[in-house]
Amino acid sequence: MSTLDIHNVYKAYGSVEVLHGVSLNIKDGEFVALVGPSGCGKSTLLRMIAGLEDITAGDIVIGDRIVNDVAPKNRNVAMVFQNYALYPHMNVRDNMGFPLRQRRMPKAEIERRVNDAARILGLEPLLERKPRALSGGQRQRVAMGRAIVREPNVFLFDEPLSNLDAKLRVQMRSEIKELHQRLGITTVYVTHDQIEAMTLADRVVVMNGGIIEQEGPPLELYDKPASRFVAAFIGSPPMNFLEGEIADGAVLVLADGTRLQLPAGRQYRRAHVTVGVRPEHFELHETGWPATVSVIEPTGSETQITARMAGQIVRILVRGRTLVMPGEVIHLQVRSELLHIFEDEVARGSRVLHLQEKQYA
Amino acid sequence: MTSIASPILKRRSGRLGHKVRIAAGVIVSLIFLFPIYWMVLTSLKQPVDIFTTPPTFFFEPTIATYVEYFRRADISRRLINTIIVAAGSGVLSIIVGSMAGYALARVRIRGATTMGLLILLSRGVPPIALAVPMFLVARKLGLTDKHITLILAYCTFLIPYVMWLMRSFFISLPRELEESAMIDGCSRYGAFLKIIVPISLPGLLSTLIFSMILAWEELLFALVLTNRYASTIPVAIAGIAGDTINGANWGALTAVGTITVVPVVIFALLVQKWLIRGLADGATKG
Repeated sequence: MSTLDIHNVYKAYGSVEVLHGVSLNIKDGEFVALVGPSGCGKSTLLRMIAGLEDITAGDIVIGDRIVNDVAPKNRNVAMVFQNYALYPHMNVRDNMGFPLRQRRMPKAEIERRVNDAARILGLEPLLERKPRALSGGQRQRVAMGRAIVREPNVFLFDEPLSNLDAKLRVQMRSEIKELHQRLGITTVYVTHDQIEAMTLADRVVVMNGGIIEQEGPPLELYDKPASRFVAAFIGSPPMNFLEGEIADGAVLVLADGTRLQLPAGRQYRRAHVTVGVRPEHFELHETGWPATVSVIEPTGSETQITARMAGQIVRILVRGRTLVMPGEVIHLQVRSELLHIFEDEVARGSRVLHLQEKQYA
Repeated sequence: MTSIASPILKRRSGRLGHKVRIAAGVIVSLIFLFPIYWMVLTSLKQPVDIFTTPPTFFFEPTIATYVEYFRRADISRRLINTIIVAAGSGVLSIIVGSMAGYALARVRIRGATTMGLLILLSRGVPPIALAVPMFLVARKLGLTDKHITLILAYCTFLIPYVMWLMRSFFISLPRELEESAMIDGCSRYGAFLKIIVPISLPGLLSTLIFSMILAWEELLFALVLTNRYASTIPVAIAGIAGDTINGANWGALTAVGTITVVPVVIFALLVQKWLIRGLADGATKG
């Protein structure tokens, strides 16, 4: 058990820089998820923590020790890989005992720890099997078993559930969460699946293009995304974005000339803004913005409506069932405190858009 | 014409295709095996039966040629020499070559590909161009007619061979295996020995077998670098074939030829399980 501090870390392959100064402080026992699209640098960062990649600049500190130049085997971290990386020539028992044998632990102690881990993970009947005789979920458990027997300072997970089918993924997700609650070991978990990140982590770190876009508790990222990127990435189905010009103080004029009334009583610093609305925040109301329904997708507990509004597609999520039919015109309303307004931050280029401090009515 | 072919017809034509393939296989095998069959047959003939026309297939077999040439051509010692040299160069090249192949496959070295290509290119040099300089070096070092000289000489072409075969084998293994081992407490070297080598055993063994066969039948370097003490069987065959005084003794030639082939065949039969598994593993392992 240990803290993990990342100070202004850079990574470059030759002249190509892939991490542009990342800092992150992880508390003892905290579960942090690194999430982002492929190529955002999340796996690279994880591999740097493990010691599998060199650190171009900056420091990685585990506990109170700078580990920049410490070999992976001496960092006391355990890692679970996406393809499990089980040793194919060893049975389950030997796979789980391997890290302990490498540390020349007494046989009896190895036996005890492997049996304990096997009991926790329900692997007892499989101890003599070779990896190739296991199902995907069982392999995944063995990989976790191999990590927990170590009793490491830090757990590292690199997209551990990506190779499992949807049902098993949900099951293993809760097993990982339970395991973390039980063992309380500092954990860094890399995934491209924002649902996984949201459900598992104490804190979610959204990465994009080699920097941290935003970090915080899952619901904070959902409620107050710091950039349009985070807003689009967190939440499913994703947030709707309407781009337009501000006119007459509080009217959003869309590209096709449609005028949408925005909450009055606030100052817009720039003429060009993007308005973000989560699908679940739309309400059907006679006085709202008009939209034409194109598709209705009921799932029982909720219904997703796809509609065209001013030439743009918007997704609307309503609880329960709806009598709305395709082709029908509906009117959408959003409570003003649930609107996300992003303004172009021209000085920093157009990539990062800032959320103006929100007005809570 | 795809839509009307009935399943039965297809199956029948499939079966026919299967038969044709088997027949073709048998014919090709016969073409390749016949010279060996003829060699063994000739080696068992009396000298008078060898040149009869038409050739005889039925005769009273004799092992007189074997008995005589085992003594005259010093076959038993040459056999031992060949085994020492083939095993020595095979094992040495597999150790050095697999490590080199691993380094080329995994370690980030500047110019690794160029380095690998250069080593491979060295195999493009005709051996005859290397034989004379090698002889001069061996003589300067006082290493002519020694087993170690041949072993080292054979390594010059076996190591690139092993290196390239094993490199592609190692590339096909998931990188995470070693990374996991390194996190679990191994150095890179330890991960190679404890994880990669055991997994690659079939590939390593089949490569070892091929290397040993290449060394077993090598003639040129053996001819140039050895004289009597470390001379190998192919040199003996060349000696018999090139006997300008008495003319080529075909009985002796085929007898020694058979002696050369038999150990390879026995060896290949013993290890064929590994050989086939190794070749298949190298091709498909993900």
